[in-house]
Amino acid sequence: MGYVLQYGQIWPYLPRLLDGAWLALQIAVLAFCGGLLIGTLGAAIKSFGPRWLSMIVGAYVTFFTNTPQLVQIFFLYFALPDAGILLSSFNAVLLGMTLNAGAYLTEIQRAGFESSRRSELEASEVLGFSRLQQIRYVILPHVAQVLFPPLSNHFIIMTLGTSMAAVFGVEELTGQALNINSMTFRSIEVFTVTAGIYVVLTLIASVLLAAFGRFAFRARTKLI
Amino acid sequence: MLSQIAYEWPEFATYYNWVFLAGAAGTTLALSALGVILGSVFGLLLAVARISDGRLLLPLRVLAFAFTEIFRRVPFLVTLMLAFFGFQIFFSDVPLFVVAAVTTTFIASAFLSEIIRGGLNSVHRNQWEAAEAMNFSQLQTIRHVILPQAWRVILPPAFGFFVMFIKDTALASQIGVVELTYAAKVLNNKGFSAALAFGVVLLIYFAISYPLARLGAALEIRLAPSRHHRP
Repeated sequence: MGYVLQYGQIWPYLPRLLDGAWLALQIAVLAFCGGLLIGTLGAAIKSFGPRWLSMIVGAYVTFFTNTPQLVQIFFLYFALPDAGILLSSFNAVLLGMTLNAGAYLTEIQRAGFESSRRSELEASEVLGFSRLQQIRYVILPHVAQVLFPPLSNHFIIMTLGTSMAAVFGVEELTGQALNINSMTFRSIEVFTVTAGIYVVLTLIASVLLAAFGRFAFRARTKLI
Repeated sequence: MLSQIAYEWPEFATYYNWVFLAGAAGTTLALSALGVILGSVFGLLLAVARISDGRLLLPLRVLAFAFTEIFRRVPFLVTLMLAFFGFQIFFSDVPLFVVAAVTTTFIASAFLSEIIRGGLNSVHRNQWEAAEAMNFSQLQTIRHVILPQAWRVILPPAFGFFVMFIKDTALASQIGVVELTYAAKVLNNKGFSAALAFGVVLLIYFAISYPLARLGAALEIRLAPSRHHRP
């Protein structure tokens, strides 16, 4: 009771929060790129690969999408040393987020691959397109347009997910907020400012991604 | 790692450890179920507020919009910390479960309101206009005309959100709610190897989430067949 908000005390720490936001964004981008790589491979295997390989990918996707990311990272960070693999907290978080993203992005991209229609391919064959031309002019534009909105959506989810890194002591936005909180004890102030930074960060990312998607792939991303 | 687990297993697989883990799993489920149930009530209110019309209700629309946008764009952990410290300042002796449940309710309200709004908007414009022509008020329209048609569209993604949410509540361990992830940490601190403690908890999460995810997929095919393009 009688709590007086004193934002003045935490303004000096704002640069640290912004540093944290920058690191959070870096983690999200790195993990997303890694995940995209795994996801593209996984989706290609699930759509076109041999049966035994696609079953392995299926098991990977099912396991990672049905368990919490936090516990996956806990496992990587605390259990792998038993097997002789030592990961720094940053690497454990990055690896965990990449593997998790890979599973989700496999699912998303598989749905996108399946959306390219048989009849479109046949039509392009009739027009005398070579296999490479088909991929370049028929499959890719279509798939990119369908895939861009869910992919950018998942990137936003991952940006928010980077806050998990704080649990392992990585000093990204939430980690910095926890540090500043324990230095100043202005909890409400610190965490409202942090929440505000997350909102602004993801809003900017959403707007930029939607604009890019519309420009590059004619993808219609619903902003609001 | 495996020989270590095999060595510890008899110690680990005792009756009381299983009871402890079962209770923790119950807490995890209760946390997400409570959040989703209360969240769908508030989510419906928010969705209705957002599609209301008339100048007088403009502040309501803006508020509902701000609430959903903000809580969908703030990470679970930050919302949790805000609730945690907020409760600490304004109330004394609030159980941690309540703090976590309030957090899940807020977040679920924001996400579910978007899902519900999508469902309400999926009903054809003509239905709204026909109801208006028959002198239904907007609330009556939603209650008697729109919801009976929209629930088929709302239920599958809402259930999918619930399944996803079960995994998100793992973060509640950070404020000390004794749910599955926290139970893993306790067992780890008791001296069981991390591979065993976290591995078992991963499997329990999987055992909860996988059947529910399958049920959700079946629900989607059953309820909203028009959205499914089967080859």
